[in-house]
Amino acid sequence: MAANTIQVGQAVRRKAKLWDRVYPYISITLPFLVIALFTIYPVLYAVRISFYQYILTKPKSHPFIGLKNYIEVINSYYFRTSLVNTALYTVAAVIGVTIFGLVVSLLLNSKAKTAAALRVIILLPWAIPAVVAGLMWKWILNSDFGIFNGILYALGLIDQYLPFLANPTLAKVSLVLADIWNEGPLAAIFFLAGLQLIPNELYEAARIDGGGAWRIFRYITLPLLRPILLIVVVYETLTAILVFDLIYVLTGGGPGDSTSMISWFAYAEIFRNLNLGHGVALAIVIALITLVLILLYLRVIRSEEMVG
Amino acid sequence: MTPRLKRTLSSLTVNLLIIFLIVYIGGPFVWMALASLQGENELLKRPPSIIPQNPTFDNYNYVFTGKIPTAYEVKGQLRSRISEEARLIAPALRNSFIIALSVMAINLLIGTPAAYTFARLNFKGKKGGYNFILASRLMPAMAIAIPYYVIIQTLKLLDTYLALILVHSALTLPFTIWFLTLYISNIPRDMDDAGLVDGCTPFQALTKIVVPLMAPGLVAAAAFAFMTSYNEFLFARFLTQSIKSQTGPVIIASIAGNPDASYSLISVCITLGLIPPLILAITLRRWLTEGLSASITFR
Repeated sequence: MAANTIQVGQAVRRKAKLWDRVYPYISITLPFLVIALFTIYPVLYAVRISFYQYILTKPKSHPFIGLKNYIEVINSYYFRTSLVNTALYTVAAVIGVTIFGLVVSLLLNSKAKTAAALRVIILLPWAIPAVVAGLMWKWILNSDFGIFNGILYALGLIDQYLPFLANPTLAKVSLVLADIWNEGPLAAIFFLAGLQLIPNELYEAARIDGGGAWRIFRYITLPLLRPILLIVVVYETLTAILVFDLIYVLTGGGPGDSTSMISWFAYAEIFRNLNLGHGVALAIVIALITLVLILLYLRVIRSEEMVG
Repeated sequence: MTPRLKRTLSSLTVNLLIIFLIVYIGGPFVWMALASLQGENELLKRPPSIIPQNPTFDNYNYVFTGKIPTAYEVKGQLRSRISEEARLIAPALRNSFIIALSVMAINLLIGTPAAYTFARLNFKGKKGGYNFILASRLMPAMAIAIPYYVIIQTLKLLDTYLALILVHSALTLPFTIWFLTLYISNIPRDMDDAGLVDGCTPFQALTKIVVPLMAPGLVAAAAFAFMTSYNEFLFARFLTQSIKSQTGPVIIASIAGNPDASYSLISVCITLGLIPPLILAITLRRWLTEGLSASITFR
């Protein structure tokens, strides 16, 4: 009887052990399969296409052409223009969103009475589709019927309506402003989450030591927010380099090619010029650029950790 | 300057700055809602009237019942600005909602156990698997758009909910798993260790002990997944073909793509499309901040 119980117990334990060993794999199988289905095959397919001539208007011939797609794309006029545009836009958007996020999070964390109202609406722009955000701004900035022009005009700040989206410089500025509106709130919430983790005693101690608001921000708040600052900068860099939805509705890459970014160029090659080989080769170049940037960021983080 | 004056001045600047931000952030929403209550001819004035002169629900009436607003009959040439497509917005938003809810459920159901495994259990291939999942999001959408189309076509899923549910799940799961893994790593280990010693299986330790402790994280992850799916445009645009599966962003972008589209109808569509995300953003704000705080705790 006793021996029997021990045997059953051992069997249960053995079963549990086997289960424990298999469980980790079972628990990740489903997400792994979904992700793998939409990663491995698409990447292989994309890399393959990029080495072939794939023009939809010539559906019968897909000769292997090696690196020709890459060479043609990189040497094209549009690649240089869109690369410069993307670089400018990325720098402006990342700096803009980061500063906006920092300022808003500090204001949200302040004791001002109006801060409560801002706290309620701050996440709204982030919660809506970029397509819709772009559309709202397109209409607000419209050069014939836009409400922004209307308000500036009614206030007497301008004599005639400004062509916000038809002037190359104004179009770039408008794009960055719409992006800050759309992306800034999430950055603000990230910074706010970080601010709330900073113990109050640190501020009190600094105040007793006679630190002014700026010195407290510079020597206490900012260093402690550093990990979040890095998350925000990395995330916003990737978002800015890959910006598409906003351009699709707001400027369509125009006027001329003044807001034509690199992923817009890839879209145009694939869906307008129907040259899949070119478009996909370009997309792979973009992927490599982002990969290099991420590795650089990681390196900065790691070297700072070693110094710190 | 006396200290008291200085304090009043700085509080004034802070409040003015906040009011400016409230206008910048909230203004576009308010304008869309106000514009949707006006007739087309009022919106085409220079400058347009901010406060509706003759507020009317005719535009909404048209979208839901097809009754053409009287404002259009007044001016004959405005008649052409009515786009039939605007009437598709209600079913499109329903599609968006069903798809986003399914994506959210999938993320929670299969993402949470995976995150627990990555945060707590040891097994061969853990690091490789984790890195693979994170790196999967590096490919720009443009490069994988065509292979996605081929996959969905091969599975005979073009123009179905399931196609977008699958694709959106693949897009959101890496973030959900990463976020929840960080979140669980920040929960003290002793709690579920005690459960494991008492004879719980890892899955029981997760459902009975850890899940109740990670509610803010789960809410944040669920909200992110819902929003990403509800807002996604590029894949939704070319994996759908008819109103059977077209989502809100696809219909709104297509209405706006028509240069003759009516502004009042666009603003109705936008206002309707804004309602679900706005409710979510306002109700979940506190949970989101809490969830983010807990997963990015300084280490």
